[in-house]
Order: sequence, then C-alpha cells, then structure tokens
Amino acid sequence: MTAPPPPHPAPAPAGDMTAWHRLHPLSPLIRTGRHLMALGVLVLLLIFANHSGNNDDFISDIVVVGIVLVAGVISWLVTRWQVADGVLRIETGLIRRQSLRFPLSQVQAIDVVQTGLARVFGLAELRLRMAGADSSGGRLACLPLADAERLRTQLLAMGHAAASPVAAGGASAGAAAPSAGGPAGSAGGAAPPAVAAAPPRPERVLFRVQSERLAGAIILSRSGAYAGAVIAVVIVVIALTGRPGVIVPFLVFGFGVVASVWRRFNTEYGTVVAEAPDGLRLRSGLVQTVAETIRPGRVQAVRIVEPLFWRAFGWCRLEVDVAGPRQRRENRSEGQRLRALIPVGSRADAEQMLGELLTTPPRPTHPAPASARVKTPLSYHYLAWAGDDRYVVASRGRICRKTTWVPLEKVQSIRWVQGPWQRRLGLATVRLDVAGRRVTASIQDRSVAEADELLGRLPDLARAARSRGLVS
Amino acid sequence: MTAQPGDADIGWQRPSHLLLRARRIQTALVTLPVALVGGIIAGAAGSTGLGLGIGLGLVVVGLLCERFLARRVAAWGYAERRQDLMVKRGVMIRRQSVIPYGRMQFIDVTAGPVERSLGLATVRMHTAAAASDARIPGLDKVDAAKLRDQLASLGEAQAAGL
Repeated sequence: MTAPPPPHPAPAPAGDMTAWHRLHPLSPLIRTGRHLMALGVLVLLLIFANHSGNNDDFISDIVVVGIVLVAGVISWLVTRWQVADGVLRIETGLIRRQSLRFPLSQVQAIDVVQTGLARVFGLAELRLRMAGADSSGGRLACLPLADAERLRTQLLAMGHAAASPVAAGGASAGAAAPSAGGPAGSAGGAAPPAVAAAPPRPERVLFRVQSERLAGAIILSRSGAYAGAVIAVVIVVIALTGRPGVIVPFLVFGFGVVASVWRRFNTEYGTVVAEAPDGLRLRSGLVQTVAETIRPGRVQAVRIVEPLFWRAFGWCRLEVDVAGPRQRRENRSEGQRLRALIPVGSRADAEQMLGELLTTPPRPTHPAPASARVKTPLSYHYLAWAGDDRYVVASRGRICRKTTWVPLEKVQSIRWVQGPWQRRLGLATVRLDVAGRRVTASIQDRSVAEADELLGRLPDLARAARSRGLVS
Repeated sequence: MTAQPGDADIGWQRPSHLLLRARRIQTALVTLPVALVGGIIAGAAGSTGLGLGIGLGLVVVGLLCERFLARRVAAWGYAERRQDLMVKRGVMIRRQSVIPYGRMQFIDVTAGPVERSLGLATVRMHTAAAASDARIPGLDKVDAAKLRDQLASLGEAQAAGL
C-alpha cells in the first residue's frame, strides 16, 4: 500500500517507536485516582455517620491511600513499552514480571480513553482490543493525549500494513517509518509514507446523539425505572418515619442504582459516529471520554433494540459486537453491554446506520409457525427471521424487541436445539454464533422441517460467504 | 445437501461403549460419599433410623440418575463431514452443532481420573465464539489423539480469519 521507504538509517528520533518508552509520570495518580476518590467519599461518609470522628479509622485510611499510591508508582517504574516489527511489547510487573506481545495485525480495535481526572491533566489511556475471547487486551495508561492519538493512528496503519500480504514485506519497515513522522516531525520529511499521515483526516459524521433525548431515554429505560423506584421509596420512607437516619444502611444499594444510571449517561453522552478511512470512529463520554476506532470488516453482529417505552416515541438503540472481550475492570456495567453506535435514535437513524454497516440488509419477514404461539405466547408476535446469501436476521423478545443481523461470513458455529416442549409441538431453534460472547442470532421456534433444512443449508451458505470474503 | 438431524445419510460415529461405564462410576463416586455424609449428619442430629433412611434415600436418587445415563450416553454422536464437524447430544434438550473446520481456534484433549483409568479422553473444539459448544466425550485414547490431529490439520487447511 505504501512505497517502501528508503533505507534511511534514521537519525536520533527514529528510535522513537522502537526504543523502550515509559508511561507518563502522572499515570500512577490517574490510575489510582478513581479508587482514591471512592475512598475519600467513604471516609467522609464514615465521619458523617458517626459524628464522634474515630481517629483510628482515619489513620488506617490514610495508610491504605499511601500504600495504593506507592504501589502505583512502583508499577509505573517497572512498566515500559516498545513497538518493533509490527508488534507492540509491554513489560510490566515487579515481582511477577510480565512481557506482553501484541501483534498489530491481530488488533480488532484501539480505544483512546480519558477518565475525568486524566482530562484535567491532558492524558489518555490507549487500549488495544484483541480477538481472543478471554485474553485481556493491552493497556497503555497513561500517555499525553496528542501522543496517544498519534500512536493509535500509527498502530492501526501498521496493523493494516502487516495484515495485507502485499505489504507484509513493508511491515517491519513500516514499524520504523512512522517514527520519522513522530514528535521530531519534519526530520523525517524525506520519507513521507502514507502510514505516517496526520491524525485529523476527513471524516463523515454519520450520527450524533441528542442529549435531551438520551436523558429521556435513560429515564424510560429499565435502570432509570429502578433508580426512580429507589428514590421514590427513600422519599416515602423518610416522609413516613420522619427520621432520615433510617435509610443509612440502604444507602449503598441506592447509591449503586443511581451510579449505574449516571454511568450510562456518562458513557453515552455526546456519542458521535463518523466514517474515516481507517474505520468507524466512535467518540462519546461526558466526564470520561472514549474514542474508539472499529476497523472495517470487524463487525461481528449488529443489533437493534426497541424497548417498550421507547417505541412510543419511535426510538431505538443500535449496538454492534466486535470480536474480543470488553474487559474494563473499572467499568464493569459498561463492559457487559455491547458497544452502542446509536445509544438512542429515531428509527430512521438506525436504518441509515444499518445501511452503512451492512449492504442491503434483509428484513425479518418470515414469522414463526402458529404452533409456536403455544410455547411462547408472550414473544410470539416478534419471532421472525429472514436470510439471504450474505446475512441472517432474526428478531425476538417479549416486550423489548431485539433484531440481530449476523453476516454469514462471520458465523463461527451453528447449533440446532430442541427442548422437550418444542419437541411436542414439532419446533426447533437454530442459533448462529459469532465471535464475542454476547450475540447469538437465534432463529427461534421454527418448524422442525424448516430448522432441519436451515441446519443443512446454512453451513454451505456461510462457507460460500467466507470464501467470497477472502477473495474480495 | 439435505442433512437432517438424526438422518441416516450422515455417518454418525459414537463414543466408546466404555463411556457408559465411566459415567456410572462418576455417578457412584458422587452418590456414595453424599449418601454417607448425609446419613451420618442426619443420624447424629436425629435418630439412627433417620440417618439410615436418608442415606438410603440418597442412594436411591443416585440409582434413578443411573437409569437416565444410558439414554444420555447413547445420544452422543459426531460426524466428520467434508467441511465441518457435527456433534449431537442430549435427550431432554436435543442439540446439534455444526462447526466448520476453518473456524476452529484450538483443540483440547482432556481426561479426568475416571476416564483415564478406562483409557478414555474428551476432545473439545474451541471457536472464537464463546457460545459454540462442541465436545466429544468418551473417545478411546488413541481415537481421540487421531481425531485431534485430523481436526487440527483440517482446521489448518481451511483456516479463515475472524
């Protein structure tokens, strides 16, 4: 893809990428910042709860904070990273030394994450997402924001170069080349390879979430309803008993529920999806901002979710699944959901985005046979599927309709399942699994003849789609 | 292709006949200690008669489980087709999986103590999808190794990216 850069002995700054690097000196503070804040809140709560102000507790808390900070500094001291030969290497650990290698051609996506504290200092964290279902991806926390964004572009470009066989020979050269366009910039002007292109490239914005609609949608969602119920209960209890102290033991629970709503708003606020040459760019976040790039052809499944209350307003949610785990230790509940390209949008927004992601996606037009009504009276009205030689789409759900599109070339395995009820009614379910752990297109409750026919036909269709994908 | 579940045109292969024995031993190994401990606890807490009753009751539960073992073991089957592997299992909930060779990420051969003592092993295929489940228990050790090598070479030949 790029002209092989001249064998440039590359003076001083060329060591930029291949040499060992440290993370930013402030990273320990930022990595532990969240825990420190939680601890601070806890201390305040304790002091507030027992007015006596127990000094021993306070001192022990200070000690804990100190230990956490020192551990952070040590982990910063022993961590270093390097990019060489199309491989990102991270070495870390004092007692249990770890050397991690991330081949860039295997990278599924790279995120730039800024926590609230990191934004104050202008730092960012780089997260690499690999394909493995349970291996953890690479994390570089923290780098200055500009460096992180440049590194992301470079890593993605190098990944592309390494992945395409034509440029395979240039991969190792590509590893050295972008460094020329690094901080010392113009020094490498003699060899301007495409991989070292400047980060701001023309983008086409596909979707931008409306904040007020997002707020409304979250309030109308399940977690919003929980939070509302909790607040209502608290108010009623205080009003009835007249003693606010009664609710203190349940405060933690209430805090958790409210926090989950806040976290959702925080992560989905200001979502912008844009199309760029290196894939779909996704930016979102209020306090903690995340910038992700989803490389083309890495989308394993697309799902549109329409909860009951949202349907009244014609809203829906569009999610994609990308291979690999969403391991975010400090952000569990976010990690368990799929990446929402459209946290909430109109039906037209979703249709447009769907058209961008898939070419001529089919509609779920074949409803389930009437006998399925006996087994699933509550979700029968949404059971439907359709398929062509590229995609399979299946919809299901009781009051919340979920429609899942799966490209046949991404199908990992196909399962035919029949429970005792289904056997009596002459039904069976066919499931298509894709990489990742949450999405399965489930063609539910078809007649046995149809399910059998599907099980016979789909593997061949998937194989054909796969070989087509390899050729193109 | 008209592959129908349970059809005769797929050459279903079965696990070794020793699998039933392995499953029986495993059931017994669970049932007996549980019955013993349950009986002793009940005997210590209540009367000796109660302890005996509960112990015997748990043994009966184990025997009932044994009644279903044969059917469950007989339900296992696998077929190596040209492009993919089919595995079927289950009596109450019948399942049938198709795993293209090209999608296999890696293959495990495991053998627990009971299986090992009977010369058996379990072959398990992993794809990139966590939901895929394809394992074939109770293969003869030699067959398992052969199957593993065969699957590995087929997988390599047809490997496809994610």
